[in-house]
Amino acid sequence: MSAMTKNAPASERFLELRNIQKWFGGVHALRGIDLALNLGEAYHLLGENGCGKSTVIKIMSGAIAPSEGEIILDGRSYTALDPIQSLGAGIETVYQDLSLIPNLTVAENVALSEQLVGAHGRLARLFDRSRLRQTAERALSTVGLPTDRAFLNTVVSDLPLAARQLVAIARAIATRAKLVIMDEPTTSLTRREVDNLIRVVERLRSENVAVLFVTHKLDECYRIGGHAIVFRDGQCVAQGPLEDYSKKQLSELMTGRPIDAERYRHGKPGDGELLRVEHLSAPGFSDLGFSLRQGEILGITGLADSGRNELAMALTGVAPATSGSIALQGRPVTVRRPADAIAMGIGYVPEDRLAEGLFLDKSIFENEIALILTRLSNALGVVDKKQGRAIAARLSEEMRLNTKDLDLPVGSLSGGNQQRVLIGRWLSIGPKLLVLHGPTVGVDVGSKDTIYRAIQALAEAGMGLIIVSDDLPELLQNADRILVMNAGGIVAQLDAAEASEEQLYKAMLSSRKEHAQ
Amino acid sequence: MNASRIEQLKEDAARPQSFSLGEFIRRRPESITFFLLVAICVAVAVANPAFLQPATLIDIGRASVVMGLFALGVFIILAAGGIDVSFTAIAAFTMYSLTVLVQSYLPGIPIAVILIMAIVGGALLGVINGLLVHHLNVPSLIVTIGTQYLFRGFLLSFIGTVWIMSLPPQMGAFGRMPLFQFESANGAVITLPFYFLVLPIAAVATWWILNRTLMGRAIFAVGGNAQIASRLGYNLKTIHIFLFGYAGALAGLAGIIHVCANRQANPFDLVGTEINVIAAVVLGGARITGGTGTVLGTILGVLLIVVINSVLVMVGIPSTWQRLVVGSFILLAAAFFVTRQRKK
Repeated sequence: MSAMTKNAPASERFLELRNIQKWFGGVHALRGIDLALNLGEAYHLLGENGCGKSTVIKIMSGAIAPSEGEIILDGRSYTALDPIQSLGAGIETVYQDLSLIPNLTVAENVALSEQLVGAHGRLARLFDRSRLRQTAERALSTVGLPTDRAFLNTVVSDLPLAARQLVAIARAIATRAKLVIMDEPTTSLTRREVDNLIRVVERLRSENVAVLFVTHKLDECYRIGGHAIVFRDGQCVAQGPLEDYSKKQLSELMTGRPIDAERYRHGKPGDGELLRVEHLSAPGFSDLGFSLRQGEILGITGLADSGRNELAMALTGVAPATSGSIALQGRPVTVRRPADAIAMGIGYVPEDRLAEGLFLDKSIFENEIALILTRLSNALGVVDKKQGRAIAARLSEEMRLNTKDLDLPVGSLSGGNQQRVLIGRWLSIGPKLLVLHGPTVGVDVGSKDTIYRAIQALAEAGMGLIIVSDDLPELLQNADRILVMNAGGIVAQLDAAEASEEQLYKAMLSSRKEHAQ
Repeated sequence: MNASRIEQLKEDAARPQSFSLGEFIRRRPESITFFLLVAICVAVAVANPAFLQPATLIDIGRASVVMGLFALGVFIILAAGGIDVSFTAIAAFTMYSLTVLVQSYLPGIPIAVILIMAIVGGALLGVINGLLVHHLNVPSLIVTIGTQYLFRGFLLSFIGTVWIMSLPPQMGAFGRMPLFQFESANGAVITLPFYFLVLPIAAVATWWILNRTLMGRAIFAVGGNAQIASRLGYNLKTIHIFLFGYAGALAGLAGIIHVCANRQANPFDLVGTEINVIAAVVLGGARITGGTGTVLGTILGVLLIVVINSVLVMVGIPSTWQRLVVGSFILLAAAFFVTRQRKK
């Protein structure tokens, strides 16, 4: 961020793609992409799932070869790159899964690639431990992580997610990268962690590194600044400084149809009380009380350690509460495990739908009926598939799944569709209360729209919904009320129609001491 | 905000430094193996002081060589997330074919050349495994079950089924060659054979490859997550070929040592002991899912199995009980590690 870079002359061209085409079998994934990236600039590659973003990244990082077109890297022309060429030229990718090797140490994850590239991928080489440490120390200090020996020798799988994210970025810059590509880096981060990431990006730009973000989150693009590159259906539909576009324009460019960024919530909650929570405590929060009416949508937010996640898990029996009471429609209930919650009509859509919610290699049909197998089976335990199919078809319809083929494995669907399958599954038990944890994490703009509409329809039908999320616009657009948690307690209750992001953010960050008193 | 984050991470990083037994065991699972080994030795020594005599210890050392070589090969493949069950077939194939070859065609060839031929022969068979695993893109368990049958079938159908009782003299001599020798109290001559040295040499070489070369780090990286490793530029084909080739070379060497030590070549030998070896490696703290483990742990695991197999008899436990003991140890150790993981 030094003055020098601010006044730097027109920056240097690093990578250029010319008329890149890519076919996968019969699918025309990229239809003539032209792109130019300059050193020291930040770019945001925007687009819905399946628009070709990840294909382009893979072409840049050398993971796949384009079918046609030209890549000009550092002034040299290529028809395709291989991973070692791409790394050697300084293109580093931080994939969404972070691509860290879980059983290796921080130092090895950060600095081993440098030696691998130095050896041109040949493995019959000694590896230099002291250089490994030096490189790791330098890169870790750039991203603001500790550089002591204990941290260097920590196995990556022992680190919290936010630290892993930074380790992945440290690896990217360890090889003196010139272009760092970040694939949806903020999906799993809380707001505070995003702030830290933004500082790291600033530092990279000041060192004349180009940064290419691939993202869904438009708000964060504006906070980071730079250039927007919008993809739709394998074509680049817009390219230019972010300031030239409004959020609405970008959304519309991405989806190709007008997107209503206004409030989705138009209905009013009913009168009857659905849920009353009193003096509820569990590890992570204590003495919470709130209530929810029929057909009401309650948003709950807070930082990752505020207790919001634990509250969601306590309400749904995933990690039961230790004391306090939960009453559903006036009757006290005990929720000790998820099966209790399901029996009482409390559904839970977890945040990590891949690990906790879906059977990825099973079909849509099997996933949809997973909760009602006992109801569908006869005395011998044989499942009535015909009835199950009818139910699954109805649920898919209701959730507006974009495929009619119920035998497709869920793993082959986009994030937005997977989420819809998961919500659809809960509808099969006709829940009274549905707890949604980060319902649109990793979901593109178009799918978000469908999911929000579905949520609203559920509330209209009288279901009570609790949305636990740190996507503040999401809560403001969808909820009736928003509770803000901090240090295990509720610190604010706001009317979503009136509240602003700033208000919520301030409550989330207010110091713990204030609330302890 | 930034500062508090870093502090928190520093705290996290500092935590393992404050000594906690649980954390130590989680990081060094082979300490459990070591503890079990010491416990058994102490128990046996108390029940029967004869255990502590040099003769017994040397017996244990001698009995560990073949299994130890196999185990190092299994470990290196396990570290990369694969598994090999064909190594005994590779050993049987190499040792028997080589014995036949030497006996019928190359009677005067020096033992050093025989050992090198065993290593190269085993490595070649291993490379077949590696190529199949890489190109078929099938789990290595399936591939090596297939090649185990293949190698053994080829051996018995085309090379021979005759039990060779009189070895070429240089091989017999190598089996008897002493590293050192002494007379025990009752007048018997006790010998630690020269071939015992092969095990520590192979162990150090394996340790060196795993911890000091890029290949070694690549092996663990593949064991952690093969897809990511390949994305980061590690050449999976090279790694697969090296892994299985190396394990094959160790198996070939183990096979020929087995022949020299027993002074006979039985083509039906060795195959069937795979599970015993894999058990030793797993008891040594390597996770069956790959990416973890140490050479030291592997050797400790081997010693544990050998001690159980050879000394329980000394305290009056019938040899049929060995399996019960090994089985319970494996379950115990596994249950222990799993609960440790969960607590995390």
